[in-house]
Amino acid sequence: MFARKKKGFLGVAAVVLAGSLVVPLLAIGTTASATTVRPHVTLSHANTVFSSGVMYSPPTVWNPNAQGSFATGTEGFLYETLFLYNPITNKYIPWLANSGKWTSTTKYVLTLRGGIKWVSDVANGQAVKGFMTGADVVFTIMLAKTDPGIYYSNLANDVSGATAVGNTVTVTFKHPAAEDWQSFLYQDPILPSSSVYGMGDWNNAELNTDANAAPVASGPMSLDSANTNSEEVCYTTNPNWWGANVKSLGNPSFKFGHWCDTVNSSNNVELTDFLTGAIDLSNNFLPGIAALIHAASPGGSTYGNISTYYPRPPYMLSANTVWLEPNLSKKPMSNLYFRKAVAAAVNESQIVNVDYTNLVDASNPTGLMPSQKSYIDTAAVKQYGFSFSKATAKADLKKSNYKGQTVTIECPAGWTDWMAAINLIVKDLKGVGIKAEALFPSYATRTSDIEDGTYDFAIDNNASIAADPYNYFYRMFRLPVQKVQSAQDNWERFDAATVGGVAGKAWALVKDLNATAMTAKTARQAIFNKLETIELQYLPEIPVWYNGAWAQYSASHWKHWPHSTAKGDQYTPVMWAGWLGQMTTVLALAQLAHS
Amino acid sequence: MRRYFLKKISIYLLTFWVAVTIDWGIPRLMPGNPLQVFLLKFRAQPDAAKYLQAYFYKAFGFNEPLWKQYLYYWDGIFHWNLGVSMFYYPTPVATVIGQHIFYTMGLLVPAIICAYFVGNRLGAMAARRKVLDNSILPASYLISGTPYQWFAMLLAFFLGALWHLLPESNAFAFGTTPVWTWTFIGNFLEHWILPFLSLFFIMLGGWAIGMRNLIIYELESDYAHWLQMLGSPARLVRRYAYRNAVLPQLTGLALALGTFVAGQIVTEIVFNYQGVGLLFFNAITNSDIFLMQGAFLLVIIGVLVANFVIDIVYVLVDPRTRVSMMGAEG
Amino acid sequence: MTDADAPAEGMRPASGTAPAGSDPPPVLAHGTAPDPDGMAAQPGAATEAVAPVSSPLPGAPKRRRHEFLYFAVRNKKLLVGISVVGFFVLVAIFGPWLTSYAPLATGNTGWHPPSGRHWLGTTYFDEDVFSQVVYGIRASFEVGVLGGCFSVLLGMLVGFTAGYRGGWMDEILNLVTNVVIVIPLFAMLLIIGGYLHQLSLLWEAALIGMFSWPWAARAIRAQTFTLKNREFVGLARLSGESSSKIIWREIAPNMSSYLMLTFILLFGGAILTASFIDFVGLGPQGVVTLGTMMNNAFFWDALDLHIWWWFLPPGAIITCIVGGLYLTNAGLDEVFNPKLRSL
Repeated sequence: MFARKKKGFLGVAAVVLAGSLVVPLLAIGTTASATTVRPHVTLSHANTVFSSGVMYSPPTVWNPNAQGSFATGTEGFLYETLFLYNPITNKYIPWLANSGKWTSTTKYVLTLRGGIKWVSDVANGQAVKGFMTGADVVFTIMLAKTDPGIYYSNLANDVSGATAVGNTVTVTFKHPAAEDWQSFLYQDPILPSSSVYGMGDWNNAELNTDANAAPVASGPMSLDSANTNSEEVCYTTNPNWWGANVKSLGNPSFKFGHWCDTVNSSNNVELTDFLTGAIDLSNNFLPGIAALIHAASPGGSTYGNISTYYPRPPYMLSANTVWLEPNLSKKPMSNLYFRKAVAAAVNESQIVNVDYTNLVDASNPTGLMPSQKSYIDTAAVKQYGFSFSKATAKADLKKSNYKGQTVTIECPAGWTDWMAAINLIVKDLKGVGIKAEALFPSYATRTSDIEDGTYDFAIDNNASIAADPYNYFYRMFRLPVQKVQSAQDNWERFDAATVGGVAGKAWALVKDLNATAMTAKTARQAIFNKLETIELQYLPEIPVWYNGAWAQYSASHWKHWPHSTAKGDQYTPVMWAGWLGQMTTVLALAQLAHS
Repeated sequence: MRRYFLKKISIYLLTFWVAVTIDWGIPRLMPGNPLQVFLLKFRAQPDAAKYLQAYFYKAFGFNEPLWKQYLYYWDGIFHWNLGVSMFYYPTPVATVIGQHIFYTMGLLVPAIICAYFVGNRLGAMAARRKVLDNSILPASYLISGTPYQWFAMLLAFFLGALWHLLPESNAFAFGTTPVWTWTFIGNFLEHWILPFLSLFFIMLGGWAIGMRNLIIYELESDYAHWLQMLGSPARLVRRYAYRNAVLPQLTGLALALGTFVAGQIVTEIVFNYQGVGLLFFNAITNSDIFLMQGAFLLVIIGVLVANFVIDIVYVLVDPRTRVSMMGAEG
Repeated sequence: MTDADAPAEGMRPASGTAPAGSDPPPVLAHGTAPDPDGMAAQPGAATEAVAPVSSPLPGAPKRRRHEFLYFAVRNKKLLVGISVVGFFVLVAIFGPWLTSYAPLATGNTGWHPPSGRHWLGTTYFDEDVFSQVVYGIRASFEVGVLGGCFSVLLGMLVGFTAGYRGGWMDEILNLVTNVVIVIPLFAMLLIIGGYLHQLSLLWEAALIGMFSWPWAARAIRAQTFTLKNREFVGLARLSGESSSKIIWREIAPNMSSYLMLTFILLFGGAILTASFIDFVGLGPQGVVTLGTMMNNAFFWDALDLHIWWWFLPPGAIITCIVGGLYLTNAGLDEVFNPKLRSL
């Protein structure tokens, strides 16, 4: 029967299988024909800076209102805020605004710089579309009232009206709202109000979610969509940027022609890209980087160009406080002595040493950041603060009603440094007789566990660094607690049901801060002291360490990165949302020079 | 013949229906709000969060009754409208997959084909000589037991991290745009070598073992003995044995597809290679149910199509079927 | 390859013996064992359908056992395979006595290369790699055995029922088998794993078993088909024994060697699949497995920090264990199957 075979069937098989290979190739053919229309440039590293560690998903959105999903650079490179805040020097820097001040407790007047231009993206020729005026500022503020989905919708409760005459804007308030307004000034970018090139004619759904793929913006760079793909977002410097002419800022301008921020898949891939020189700035936690920095110095090995902000521990600036977050609505976490036992059982310095190889600092018991040191009530810390002590932990545990239940500590699977920290904490807790277990569910599951209040302990951090600890306590004490805590506030569920009247008291104090003028320093400090005391007495959160403002630089292509040892004012080295455009990173980039 | 294909196709359709239903059902029947993670991205104040939740619930169609969502899902599949990715929001899932499929196919198809032919040849060689049998066979067993991700890590470590010969991650360098230019093609090939090698190598072992065993079996069969008695040259006998052995190997190819999918996914993860496998993995870790559904759908379609292609090849190559077809027609 | 999807097939012709309509083309006269990437393709019994059960007469087993033993101790593949697997079984059992470190006990000073104190060096967290490996081997065997058992049992349930009952029951079970066989196991596990709160070793094994039985089922079904028409089964049926008893007493023992081979392949496949799941980070937490070791090593920069002693051992050991199992399988097959002994 085999004798009937005439041709080698291998040949037939090869033809058919090859055919199945052609199909996908045709598929790329069609994609390619769509893409070849765009001008193609392979960006030279001599004129381009590459960064990573910011975006965890591909760049698809340049709408600053789509907080958390916009591409790196949307705030900072494209859209800008009225002021910047430098956490290193604790100073505000006038940015789009020339000046601004409270003329009464409910009235704020600010003047814009002249000559700020709205400029289109590279695909549209970086054309000047118009000038920024007070009307744009008013438009931005009033969105809080007209768009209930906007991220600063809380301003709607404070602001009664805003008017502009030329470049001067007057904002009137229903009641004093020092903190809400302060954070708007340096955190929320000004949007173009024009109906022709701006967002003036956008409906609410567009304002909140539109991709804004051809952004008309005021900032130092313009979107270069031809070089943007699912792996990176690229920008080209904006020759029409206002900053270069401002002497008081030191005439900042960029020496590079392009900036690309690449999508970050995981810290090991990023370390590879960083060590091979593919990226110049990494804003991700890179395990082992301290060892590589030190390996670099003697004999000038391959890694000789690597540096961080500090040359020695903690190497990094601090970015936010990481808490061990108890679920106060569940036993045994609802018991204060149990929380005290846990707080005393955790060996923070071991986490700093082993998990982070000294890249971070252990936290102060209040959790206030090093840059907010002046706000810490040292007397309260001395009286109520906790520190690592197995004996104290065991004693407190005896006083608690702990009955040997198993408690879980969770963080999302894949958040490697936090997972390692949890493993260490679990061991610490077991060491004093608490049955603890690590739990690493998916990000979604972990998030719903926290929002629905079904978790035991979680590792969590406060939103971000800010000029003063108002945000920190807002995050901790905000009331009311809802069934599903969808906003990232009061996740530990500190309310009347769990701790009694003190919850209402704490929240009232936080609201007091908003109503107390920024200039009333003593009154404000008194409120901070009270809040810190409540925090230390009730332990709604257990601060463990400060997450680093991860930044490692390579000088193989670009030099003059921010260093604690350099002369003059230093600026933040972090491209994260909330930092690049708000915390002076953009000024640090203006200092870069070609190696 | 027709009956055979009808039966085959109906099984494939049934499989497709089951797979799509599972694909649709798992994320929806699991407890929890599918939009929770996505909404968290907007960092909205509590009231604004409620507003956005309502808006997106409607926009993503979660407000419809389940049976309607199910029908819409099928309707979407037929129009290749797989919804909008949350991870790539607001890019449609179909577009996202379209951008990545080339990288997966460009790795997987050459690796499978090369491994198939080279592996079969190796197996045939092993069956020929004792020396080769004693070296190729044990090696093949070891290769069959090697986890894809481990071999990929070995290549990435030695050829990448240690000796810096080839890039150990990404499908092309930063700063290049994926368009048809020589620069890009060169860059792409440079990044393609390591993942290709690691897939190709692990896939080899099984074919070699299978072919070696099949040929030995064929050589023991009556016709081989008969041929030998008739004084046919050994080469000829072997060639017949090889041809007969390729057939079952082809069926084996269909059955191995599932494991190749697994190998592809972990290999893409190790090399951070921007194919559908990495996309699938990202979709799962980022709870992007639409992207996850789309990627899984694509995997299913790929496996089914490949099965079908192999069925056709099988019928085409198998002399007996050819005869029966001709007989049926004549 | 992993065989996770389709291990147990291969030794036996599914279609050669099955009536028309089973999966591979009905024209496949040779009926040879279409098997996952040819792994352990054992066409030996192809034409004759069921070699190992070719003399299922009472009284035969004892003589045959001696015969098997005679060939077993002379089969190199079997000996090598069994000694490799056996070595690691011993390590898994006695290893914990050889190490003075708990697998997850962290030191304080970062990673160290292999030395007298730490035979295989330490991880990024200064954990002892050797003790992790020892416990990891344990976990691998647990998952492998459990996963293999789950899928063989499911495969037996489906295969025996379909093969013995025949009729509409067979049609339905066969359909289910054909559907599950095409769905890619690992992709399915990823989706489920992504939604499960946390996977324990047992659950991981159960999930693997739940999706890797079809090959066993299909092969067992084909075997049952041929066996149920033998005289001794007919005799049992005449004597009025219940179906389950007949299957259990008459049919299963006559394919025990075959079931064992199936189990070994599924065992190896389960270890590999578990290593994939663990590597992508969806595996059990708080337990050291060889897969999670590779996951940790990979995501904690072992490649770029050149901590080769962290990721080399776990993968090499999986390779040896699974390779050893496959080799054992091939050796056993030759022992049970006279046609293959020649080379």
